[in-house]
Amino acid sequence: MSTLIHTLNLPVQGMTCASCVAHVEDALKAVPGVTGVVVNLGAQRATLNYDPGRVTVADLTRAVDAVGYRVPTLETVLDVQGMTCASCVGHVERALTDLDGVTAAVVNLGSGTARVTHILDIVAVPALKQAVQASGYTALERSAQVDSLDRERQAREDEIQRQGRNLALAGIIGLVVMLGTFYDMLGPLRAVVPVWLSYKWVIGLLTTPIVLGPGRQFFVNSWKGLKHGVTDMNLLYATGIGAAYGIAVINTLFPQAGFGGEGATFFESAALLTAFILLGRWLEALTRGRTSEAIRKLMKLQPKRARVVRDGQELDIAAEEVQIGDVIQVRPGEGIPVDGQVQDGYSAVDESMLTGESLPVEKKSGDAVIGGTLNKTGAFRFTATRVGKDTALAQIITLVETAQASKAPIQKLADWVAGHFILGVHILSVAVFVFWFFFGYQRFFDPASAFIMSPYSLGEIGVFGFSLLLSVTVLVVSCPCAVGLATPSAMMAGTGKAAEYGVLFKGAEAIENASKLQTIVFDKTGTLTRGEPSVTDLVAMTLPGSLEASEVLRLAAITEKNSEHPLGEAIVQGARGRGLALGDADQFNAIPGHGVEARVNGQAILLGNRKLMRDRQIEFHDLWREAERLEVEGKTVMFVAVDEAAAGLIAVADTLKEHAADAVRRLHALGIETVMITGDNRRTADAIARQVGIDRVLAEVLPQDKAEEIKKLQAQGRQVAMVGDGVNDAPALAQANVGLAIGSGTDVAKETGDVILIKDDIRDVIVALEVARATMRKVKQNLFWAFVYNTLGIPLAAGLFYPFVSLIISPELAGLMMAVSSVSVTLNTLLLKRFTPSIRREPLGSFNPTPLPAPQVVAGVSAK
Amino acid sequence: MNSETHEQTIGRRSARIYVPLALGAALMFFLAASLTGDFPMVARFGGAGWVGLLSLIVAMPIVTARLKKSLRHPA
Repeated sequence: MSTLIHTLNLPVQGMTCASCVAHVEDALKAVPGVTGVVVNLGAQRATLNYDPGRVTVADLTRAVDAVGYRVPTLETVLDVQGMTCASCVGHVERALTDLDGVTAAVVNLGSGTARVTHILDIVAVPALKQAVQASGYTALERSAQVDSLDRERQAREDEIQRQGRNLALAGIIGLVVMLGTFYDMLGPLRAVVPVWLSYKWVIGLLTTPIVLGPGRQFFVNSWKGLKHGVTDMNLLYATGIGAAYGIAVINTLFPQAGFGGEGATFFESAALLTAFILLGRWLEALTRGRTSEAIRKLMKLQPKRARVVRDGQELDIAAEEVQIGDVIQVRPGEGIPVDGQVQDGYSAVDESMLTGESLPVEKKSGDAVIGGTLNKTGAFRFTATRVGKDTALAQIITLVETAQASKAPIQKLADWVAGHFILGVHILSVAVFVFWFFFGYQRFFDPASAFIMSPYSLGEIGVFGFSLLLSVTVLVVSCPCAVGLATPSAMMAGTGKAAEYGVLFKGAEAIENASKLQTIVFDKTGTLTRGEPSVTDLVAMTLPGSLEASEVLRLAAITEKNSEHPLGEAIVQGARGRGLALGDADQFNAIPGHGVEARVNGQAILLGNRKLMRDRQIEFHDLWREAERLEVEGKTVMFVAVDEAAAGLIAVADTLKEHAADAVRRLHALGIETVMITGDNRRTADAIARQVGIDRVLAEVLPQDKAEEIKKLQAQGRQVAMVGDGVNDAPALAQANVGLAIGSGTDVAKETGDVILIKDDIRDVIVALEVARATMRKVKQNLFWAFVYNTLGIPLAAGLFYPFVSLIISPELAGLMMAVSSVSVTLNTLLLKRFTPSIRREPLGSFNPTPLPAPQVVAGVSAK
Repeated sequence: MNSETHEQTIGRRSARIYVPLALGAALMFFLAASLTGDFPMVARFGGAGWVGLLSLIVAMPIVTARLKKSLRHPA
């Protein structure tokens, strides 16, 4: 029996640090039938493979719940029509619960409703409706349905509100606790602060609701984790807050117990530590959502309604109800609901949100339109060709989500470090306690000791209280939450920023690799050049009575009109493009391997290569040399003779894409070596390379050997990217460290390559590189800031400098440092939102790009 | 249902290892404090309690995770 393995992208809420990632990964890996688990903190998602025969999605959500995290679910109410008896209830319930992603379904016959609890990311409302319909009933969604975007926003706002409420409570009471603790130092303020506020038992009473209220989450979550053999940073907080509060309670209730007495009641430590940790959590919740703004922006693009023409009537329906083949009417200013092909009408459509193309794109009959883009001026009708998950917008969202959920190699290392850090910190905390208990206190304790940035004296503290204080502070200052956030937050911001410009990274590894590139290999045809030959030069004889260049072209085009040769087609297109009227030839004769001949209005036209002209003994005088010059430039030259006399030359070549030279020049400015790979002969390849400014040319390379050439470059120790059209370059794209598929349009799901450039603009290679470099710069800065707090904080907290300065860090100051480290990392990441690629910063042309090769005018003859 | 029983088994079996480990660490601390210095009784007990708690926190995840792994891949 074959086993079908499903891949699942499970949303997980409540993860705050790298160790949470490890816990969720471990919990999911422990479920039989689950493989390939990758959890991403920034994206708050777990990607995994599972065998539906052995495990259900409900089992997975239970495994996540068991270690203290949550898989968000949504409750949807469906109006079910057609149920008549109790067995109908069973049918509908079974139809719904059989769906992966449905955790519960309760059907009410009396009200005719089904209340379904489901994971929206796995099973959306239309699938629920389809399941009900497949079982023989009709289902309609209740109108108050919350959509995916609203749900995500709601979840984020709930978390911000929850942590905000906790912070407000802990902050306000913590401030009162501070006033009471430092009553003696308040000076004139004492007139307004009642003295009873300084009583230890009052301070204790005020601190208790902070520890047991907002601080409760740390104890509950760490206990849940410990039960399953996992530790996270909640444990650091719980032990820190718990120890400070417990000792303070003992010293208040039993001052003679020997724990330091009334002089060591650290209620304010417990209160402020909780408040500062909550401040960090709140700020994190506030800023974390902003790094995934790109996905929300993309989701927002999806219009909710569509105006569908059915049976001659315009119906306003939900966009998700549109089916392939539906005809949709779009008016000026309206969003385009799904992908399709224009049937009639004319308009300009703003596609900038998906492709990054700043100018509106004209749309006429036969043109493709993309769902999520905005119609500007005219009205048109189009036929839906792709709907639901198949639309370009849905594919782009999936791709960006997948990229954001993936891990870069640097992140895997950071996660490993952070994951093992917490246990290490607890061991260090024991070591610090033992050292100060047995050796440090006796040798170094100074009764004039104080906390840094606090007038609080530690004179009365005993050996146990002092050692415990240092041990607790080590726990608090060591929290690696900033380490866990450093990479994923920057990767999310980077992939989102790239998507804004029509550059889609398929994974975080692609960003990391793209930032290290040294060499970029361009496929020639279709990448640097248009891939279609066109007339580049017209040269007419200058002898008296000779034809003008345009007449030479016209006669050649008429001769080639019936030819199917690509060069002939280029000549016909060239003539039509210049507005020349093309009649028909009276006779036409192909001369295989050499050219064609025809009679046009009584004139004998001969068109072909040099050999044909020599065979017919037609003398081209100076134009022989001119032909050689053109051939050196990589152009194919055709000779035209009229009535057995030389008339002129027509040069045809593949032309450069609009921004090819500009792109190469910018890459050089970024320190990148450029290489062109092509199957063309050396002379043509060199000519194109010269025009573009390419450093190295790999000519006469067969398509199947391109990957081998990439391998050779890599063997020289270079990080190589390949830029190609993603179809016949697939092996080379796969072999390169980074494969960039260019000009894919919006059918992104089919593309090979690590990076997809939606537009056919080669300068987007620079956008990809610049975004990757900016993202990795942010990752490195973030990791620096995350580690610098721990590197400086841990020795300070462990009392390394105490023997020299008699000062130690208070647990609350350690808590503040930890909160600042997380917030500084997240704020630093947010700076990436201001990033603009260089091609967008500079106005067009300011980079002095090489002019495009245009049809040349030679020997004073106009090409027109 | 089965997986819950499995979890409980792991929990029980690992507790039989990490609890004695933590108690052992606490006892060692207490003995060291009693034998090497003139520490007040409260400091000895308090210190033993703190060392025991931290040892429990360190041992619990290590032992549970190892046991889980060994049960998943029996040698």
